[in-house]
Amino acid sequence: MSRKLELDQDTVERDLMKLVLTVVELLRQLMERQALRRVDQGDLTEDQEERIGQTLMLLEDRMGTLCERYGIKESDLNLDLGPLGPLLPPRE
Amino acid sequence: MTTSTSPLAHRQIALVDLLDRLLAGGVVITGDVTLRIADVDLVRIDLRALISSVNENVPSPWDEPREPREPEEP
Amino acid sequence: MTDATNVTDPTDTADPTRTAEATAAAGATTATGTLEYAYAVVREADAPHAALERVRGVAGEPVRAVRHLGLAVLAGPVPAADFDEGPLRERLEDLTWLEGVARAHQQVVDAAGADTCVIPVRMATVCRGEEGLRRLLASGRDRFATALDRLEGRVEWGVKVYAASAPAAEPSAEPSAASSGRDYLRRRSAQRRASEQRWEHTEEGARRVHETLAALAEGARLHPPQDVRLSGEADRNVLNAAYLIPHEESEAFAHRVGELAGLETALRLELTGPWAPYSFVAAEGNGRAEP
Repeated sequence: MSRKLELDQDTVERDLMKLVLTVVELLRQLMERQALRRVDQGDLTEDQEERIGQTLMLLEDRMGTLCERYGIKESDLNLDLGPLGPLLPPRE
Repeated sequence: MTTSTSPLAHRQIALVDLLDRLLAGGVVITGDVTLRIADVDLVRIDLRALISSVNENVPSPWDEPREPREPEEP
Repeated sequence: MTDATNVTDPTDTADPTRTAEATAAAGATTATGTLEYAYAVVREADAPHAALERVRGVAGEPVRAVRHLGLAVLAGPVPAADFDEGPLRERLEDLTWLEGVARAHQQVVDAAGADTCVIPVRMATVCRGEEGLRRLLASGRDRFATALDRLEGRVEWGVKVYAASAPAAEPSAEPSAASSGRDYLRRRSAQRRASEQRWEHTEEGARRVHETLAALAEGARLHPPQDVRLSGEADRNVLNAAYLIPHEESEAFAHRVGELAGLETALRLELTGPWAPYSFVAAEGNGRAEP
């Protein structure tokens, strides 16, 4: 009885984490796209580029760690919006 | 790649390929399904799980006025 | 309800059969109480009786031809417990059950269509009794007749195009100690550009494939790209097409697909068939079809 409860809690936690990481991944992609666009446009100072790059790099690293810890495949991070299709585009 | 012209009976057919053909409009994940129960009886099915195919021109006889003679008009 | 209108109108709910159903509800069994699952429509004269004896339907039932107006619908009685509206709604949410029904349906159509021109009926088309089946034939009579003429001797071949698997992921997962934020951005930029280029090549290739094959075929239909969650394919499906081919040209068509597969290095092609002409039941321009 208590064992079943335990398993349920794990699943709930993992599902929640999956949702959170999906949203974080969306934000990461948006930020990355925006950053690269501005780099192309020459909009950013070297310092800004460096800081943004570091942040994104760290973020990607953290995401990988969290996914690993919760046994979530990065390719599993997505949200189905029904007629709007999936939240995140197919992986490159 | 399968290039043989031998009948399908001898090959394992993928479910997705079947559903593309058996459900009008192809297959997408999630959503509502409207499947025809032919004749004057029509069925609208809510597939919360996995499969859907849509033909919004097919009304349900249980709620709405009868549709015109041509039942398969898209 | 009085039958005040044309008695041959198959879609009139005020027909005598329905009244009979109501009065029979008291206890007497009538044929109208059964549900019939419809598989395909053929010309009455072409009904493939021998082939039908070798198959069983979606509920393991025997399938036979019910004739009306020079046509016949291949159908079998199925239990209301599974196939009436309510239960059917539930059952279809079960992928295992759905798969069983889909495969059985296809096998009936396939067997019937081996030597006969068949118009496949959409899955889960259930009629009320043989009267219902006859109404199905009557209401679609002209369309069925036209389609049978149009599809005689033709088969459908399916071609799916996938983006070829991307090259092995570069070791970007662990940034080297010396890697700076700017280096990271540069690396990501290069990766995105490469990926965009691959995608462009994929799209161009898929377009070429479709144009080439559509020119060889009597008709072409585009189905939506297949969802990875259903197909289990790792690669993205970029073209999911059906081509209508006279059956004697099947080998040449299949050969051409093989040639294209060899030419298009950015793509992976998959050929399925021959199918009964499921995707071509609707005439061009009547929806479902895309040029």
